[in-house]
Amino acid sequence: MISRLLEQAGRRAEAADATLKTDETVTLLFEAGRLKSTSWSQEQGVNLRVLSGNRIGVAGSTAAEPSGVVEAALASAAIADPVDLLLPAPAPLPSVRTYSPAAAAASVSDLSALGQSLVERLSHDGWQVNVTVERSAGSVRVANSRGVEATYDVTAVSLAAEVTRVSGDDILMVGDFYAAADLPAEPVVASLAESIGRRVHWAEQAAPPPRGELPVLFTPAGSAALFLPIRQACQGKAVLQGVSPLGGRIGERAFDSSLSLVDDPWVAGAPGSRAIDDEGVVGRRLPLVKDGVIAGFIYDLETAARAGVPATGHARRTTFGKPQAAYSNLVLSPGDLTWDELVAKVHDGLIVDELIGVGQGNVIGGAFSHPVALAYRVSGGEVVGRVKDAAVAGNAYELLSRIAGLGREVEWRGSLAMPPILLEGVSVAPR
Amino acid sequence: MKNRLRDAIQSSRADFTEIRLERSVTSAVTFRGPRLEGATVSTDEGGFVRCLNRGYGWGMASFTSLDHLSAMVARAHELSLAVRLDTPIRLADVPAREDDVVLPLGEDVRGIPLDVKKRHLESLNAMMLGRDRRIVDTQAGYRDEVVEYWYTNSDGTMLSEVRPEVTLSAVAVARDQGTIERALESLGRRSGWNAVQHREEQFLSAADRAVALLGAPRVRGGTYPVVLDQKLAGVFVHEAFGHLSEADFVYENPQARDMMTLGRRFGGPELTVGDDGSAAALRGTLPYDDEGTPTRNTVLIQNGVLVGRLHSRETAAHMGEIPTGNARALSFRHPPIVRMTNTYVANGSGTRDDLFKDIKLGIYACDAQGGQTFLEDFSFTAGHGYMIRDGQMAELVKNVVVAGNLFQTMDRIDRIAGDFQWNELGGGCGKGGQAPLPVTEGAPHIRISEALVGGSVR
Repeated sequence: MISRLLEQAGRRAEAADATLKTDETVTLLFEAGRLKSTSWSQEQGVNLRVLSGNRIGVAGSTAAEPSGVVEAALASAAIADPVDLLLPAPAPLPSVRTYSPAAAAASVSDLSALGQSLVERLSHDGWQVNVTVERSAGSVRVANSRGVEATYDVTAVSLAAEVTRVSGDDILMVGDFYAAADLPAEPVVASLAESIGRRVHWAEQAAPPPRGELPVLFTPAGSAALFLPIRQACQGKAVLQGVSPLGGRIGERAFDSSLSLVDDPWVAGAPGSRAIDDEGVVGRRLPLVKDGVIAGFIYDLETAARAGVPATGHARRTTFGKPQAAYSNLVLSPGDLTWDELVAKVHDGLIVDELIGVGQGNVIGGAFSHPVALAYRVSGGEVVGRVKDAAVAGNAYELLSRIAGLGREVEWRGSLAMPPILLEGVSVAPR
Repeated sequence: MKNRLRDAIQSSRADFTEIRLERSVTSAVTFRGPRLEGATVSTDEGGFVRCLNRGYGWGMASFTSLDHLSAMVARAHELSLAVRLDTPIRLADVPAREDDVVLPLGEDVRGIPLDVKKRHLESLNAMMLGRDRRIVDTQAGYRDEVVEYWYTNSDGTMLSEVRPEVTLSAVAVARDQGTIERALESLGRRSGWNAVQHREEQFLSAADRAVALLGAPRVRGGTYPVVLDQKLAGVFVHEAFGHLSEADFVYENPQARDMMTLGRRFGGPELTVGDDGSAAALRGTLPYDDEGTPTRNTVLIQNGVLVGRLHSRETAAHMGEIPTGNARALSFRHPPIVRMTNTYVANGSGTRDDLFKDIKLGIYACDAQGGQTFLEDFSFTAGHGYMIRDGQMAELVKNVVVAGNLFQTMDRIDRIAGDFQWNELGGGCGKGGQAPLPVTEGAPHIRISEALVGGSVR
C-alpha cells in the first residue's frame, strides 16, 4: 500500500516519504485484585509527506484503503513555507532487536496468568491492587522516493501495578511498571512486587518533614524534575529557536563530570529501540552529555535542515501530523555506590520517589518547586518513614553541576535507564 | 449507518452489548516563531465494542476498520467470556432512547478553507511576534474537529450526534539576556469558526505578560493568604477536589468510600461545587455521555456538605446511586471511564477587591498553567501572580506554584466572590491514559486563608 502511495505522490511531487504502522494490542485490567476487563484493539495508520515546490505537506489516514491522502498532503504543501529538505538515501541497517516471538505469541490466558502472578505477590490486607497487562505486536514500514524501504516488527509488553492504601484522610499510592519488547521473566515480576512492597513498608511510619538545604537522593522515578529540563534543552528545535539554555554550548562543561547521558536506539528489546527512524534516517548512539560536557542535540530532518546540521535519526511519526524529534532510549551512566551506601551518604535528608506537578510552567529554564507525592526521611543514615507535607525546590542545571553520588544499579523505566542520584543542597521546605 | 449498527447489535450473543462509531475531520494549523509548522486536514474513523455477560468481565474491541462490525462484536463477546467473576458487574438502568443531535456548529468549520484558517492564525501570531523586540519565540495553534458519532446498545438506545470543537492556543516567549519567560493563553469551545473570532486581545496579552515577567521578581516561598483568580480557582476545584469525586476512585475501595462519605463536611457553608455536562457550548458539554446516559448538573458539594459524586452506569449500580452521565471516552480507541465535564464553584458574593481588603501580605495567583493531583495532595502552577500588600494588589511576581492538602485547603477557603466565570481554556484533562479530554472549569475569585506558595526556603 505504501509503495502505491509513494508512486501516486511521485507523479505530482518532487519527493515523498511515508510510514505505515500496524498494531494489535491486548490489554487486561485487574481492579482491586480481580481481572475486570479484557480489550483487544487493532489499528493501522499511514502518514504521507510530500515535497512539492520545496514545500512540505503532510497527511494521514487510518482507513484500510486510504483515498485522498495524496491530495490532502499536496493541499497542506500548497500553503506551507519553503525549506530545502533532502530525504535520506538507503543505508545499511544495524541489527537491533525490537521483537519477541514469545511475546507476540502469548495468549490472553498467558497474559492473564502473568497479571495474576503479580496480583498474588501484592495481595495484602488493606491494599487495593490494580494491575494492567498490555501486549502489542505490530510492524513499522518506512519508505521514501529515494529508495529507502525498511520494515521491522515490534512487540511491546507492559506490566504495571499500583497499590492504594487509605486510612482516614491519609492516602498512599505506590506503583511501578515494567516495559520492554519481551515478556518479563519470573525474577522481574518478583522484583517489581518487591520494589512496591519495600516502598509501602517505608511509608508505614510517618516522619516530620525536614527543612533546609539538604542532601536528597532521587530515585529514577523521582528524578523527572531534574531531567525533563535537559530533555527539552537537548531538543534541536529548542536550540534552533534560541530558547534552550544549552544551545550553542557544545563542548562546554555544564554538569558534574560524573554525568554522562546517551540516547541509545540500539539497546536490545528496550521500548525506544529501532534500527531506523520514521524518516528513514539510520540512527546511532548519540551522547547528549559526556563527562559533564554538552555533546549533542536531537534532530528530525526538517529541524536539521533549518539549523544547517545533520539529522540524528530521531524522527517519530504518528498517523496524523508532521514528524517530530523524540528520544529513543535515554541512558544515564551509573556510578559505583550501592543503594545502602547512597542512603548512608544522605545521612540526614530525604529520598524523593515521586513529585507532584512535574512538567508545568517554565520547565526548560530548570527551576522547579514541587510538593512530594512520595518521599522518605533519612535520619542517621537510615530510612525512618514517609514524609508527606514537604516541597523540594531548586534549579536542575545548578544541582546537576555537583553530583554527590550515583548508584551502580541502572533501573529501566520505560525508555529511560538511570541509577539513583544523590544531590546536595536541595531546598526542602515543610508545608 | 444505523442499520449496520442494528444488525451488529442483533448479531451479538452477549447479555449486554454497546457499540460506538466515530468519523472525525480535523484541521490543525501551528506556527512556531514566524514560521508555519504545519497545516493539515485529517480524517479518522473507527469503532469500539463492549460486551458484558453475567458472571463474566468486560470484553472490548476497538478498531479502525468499520467493515466487520459483527466480527468485532463476536470478538468482544469472546473476550468477556475469558474473564470469570465471582461478584457480577451490574449496570444501573438508563431508559432507552433514540435521539439525533447536531450540537450548535457556530459556523461549521468544515466550510472554511484551510488557507483561511492558516491566515487567521498567522495574523494573530504576527501580533504577538511584533509586540516587543524581546519576544523571541512564539507558538500559535489552531485546531478544529467535527465528529460524527453513533452510539447504540442492546438496551435499545440509538443515538447519533455531530460534535464540534475548536481550540486556539498562544505561547509567547520573551528573552532578555539569560532570562527566558513564557506566557500562555488558550481558548476551547464546543463550537465552530465564530468562537475563534476577535481573539487579538488574548494573543497580545500573552506577549505583554511574557515581557512583563522578565522584570518580575520570583515569589518568595512561604505560607500566605492566597486569592485565586477565576481560572486558577476552576483548575483548583477540578484537580484538588474533582478527581476524588469520580466514583471509580472510591467504589472498589472501602477506606476511600469512608473518606468520601456523603454528608461529610467539605469547606464552609459558602462553598458549593458541581459538574454540569449540560451547560451550553462549553468544552465538556454533551447531550449524552459515552454510555448513552443524558448529561446533567450534578451538585457535589452543597453549602459545605458532600452530597454527590460522578458516576458511570457500573459505579452507580455498585454504589446504589444514580448514573450522572459522566462515563466518557477520549475516542473510539478507549473505553468510557468516569470523567468530569464542566466543573464549577458556585458564586459567593462581593468583588475581588473585597477579598483583598483585610490581607496584610498575601498573593494573588492568576492563570492556570497546569495542575496535578496526587490524591489528597495537589500542586498547580499559576501563569503569574501579584503580591497583595495592605489590602491592595501590588507588584507582579513569577514562579507562583501553589501546593497543599485537599482537605485542609478546602477548609481554608474563607471567602468566595460573586464574579463567576467559565474559563474556557484549551487544554484538557488526563486520566487512565486518556488525554487530553475536553473539559472546562468555572469559578468566581476564591480566597484561601493559608497555602504554601513556591517552596524555596531562600
